[in-house]
Amino acid sequence: MSTLLAIEQLRKRHGERLLFEIDRFAIDTARAYVLTGVNGAGKSTLLRILAGLEPAEAAGVEFGQQPMQLAPYPQAMREAIVYVHQHPIMFSTSVAHNIGYGLLARGMSKAQAEAHVERAMGWAGVEHLRESDPARLSGGEKQRVALARAKVLRPKLLLLDEPTANLDGAAREQVIALIPTMIEAGASVVMACHDRDLIGLPGVRRLKLRDGRMEYR
Amino acid sequence: MPLLDATHSAFALLFSGDATLWGIIWISLKTSLIGLVLAAPVAVALGYGIASYRFPGRRVAIWLAQAALSLPTVLIGLLLYLLLSRQGPWGGLHWLFTQPGIILGQFVIAIPVLVAFTLAAVQAADPRYAETAIAHGASGWRVMLTLLYEVRFGVMAAVISGFGRVISEVGCALMVGGNIAGETRTITTAIALETSKGEFAHGIALGIVLVSIALLMNGALMLLQGDAPAARGRA
Repeated sequence: MSTLLAIEQLRKRHGERLLFEIDRFAIDTARAYVLTGVNGAGKSTLLRILAGLEPAEAAGVEFGQQPMQLAPYPQAMREAIVYVHQHPIMFSTSVAHNIGYGLLARGMSKAQAEAHVERAMGWAGVEHLRESDPARLSGGEKQRVALARAKVLRPKLLLLDEPTANLDGAAREQVIALIPTMIEAGASVVMACHDRDLIGLPGVRRLKLRDGRMEYR
Repeated sequence: MPLLDATHSAFALLFSGDATLWGIIWISLKTSLIGLVLAAPVAVALGYGIASYRFPGRRVAIWLAQAALSLPTVLIGLLLYLLLSRQGPWGGLHWLFTQPGIILGQFVIAIPVLVAFTLAAVQAADPRYAETAIAHGASGWRVMLTLLYEVRFGVMAAVISGFGRVISEVGCALMVGGNIAGETRTITTAIALETSKGEFAHGIALGIVLVSIALLMNGALMLLQGDAPAARGRA
């Protein structure tokens, strides 16, 4: 299996405090990972760094076998990596527009985007919410719309920050059911989470941030 | 003239379609709206930029934007007078005592209000909006448009406050415009003049128009906002 992303000597500081220092962080192509660690270990921060939303120091970065850097964040990584917040925020337009947002942002025409949005809504089971006010969606619906919004971009690497946090019952199960299909579609997925059902998904590798170091399990 | 009589005469003047009176109102609206339309894109982009980007001197920029809110308009008028007067650096424009001169004044007066309100609205926005836009591949330009759309009610409030400030100011319009009848006489400069002449009915009639404009603008904003605060809470 080829390496999709590799970062050498990844270091993150908050002021004087060293949050973590990872000798080598590597993600394989089309593989899923769960990232665990106690609260404050830096799981969300690591995902945000990978998404180019936070600065960090790195001795070397390779993405798709090409040398890159973390800052300024390269366009190739911006197009291939999508990050989903723990509590995804919805733009105050419509569910359909939210899902198509990234496609339009990347220059796709509205007409072309429509078909992709339809498929993504079907995948996430949110067709009935097409014209709904996104602000009125439940937590589980928001999470599914956010996953559809990310998946429609066909990312090579999907970063999910606690995708099932604060969800229970059917909402949680619906979200968990979507994740293996994203991996099957060829995306690498890194999920920061504590959810045993996500950790137990077949083929998922476990990463643990402990005392500022990365443990591979 | 007792207040009641003056008010009665003021309404009579307004409804009689007095050409001079409505000419003054037209000049006021025209110069204020043009000044505002010119200032809004510049100021909203500035407010967004100051709120969104980290750069050396950012805190000074915020401080200046907020301090400029309390700058007396008569001082702005004085500075523009010196710039636009025949010996001034912009004297070649021949804008002193003209409507373009007043529009320039309204532009300068509106900028700090629009910048400060937009800055506050963007700073108060949930950072996940911009992050989600960025993480889904939006360009800097699209991130700005997305965020400004999400804080549109704050931006509208900025524009309406800016309009309120420019249409109600008197110092700059008087100094730069010169209060020339039919040319640069605005509602506020006319009120000052009519009052000094003892023509209270004219002053009150123009005051009624100013208050009506303020009520209309703010009413329109409230209608547009709908249940926006509740919606934001649910986002």
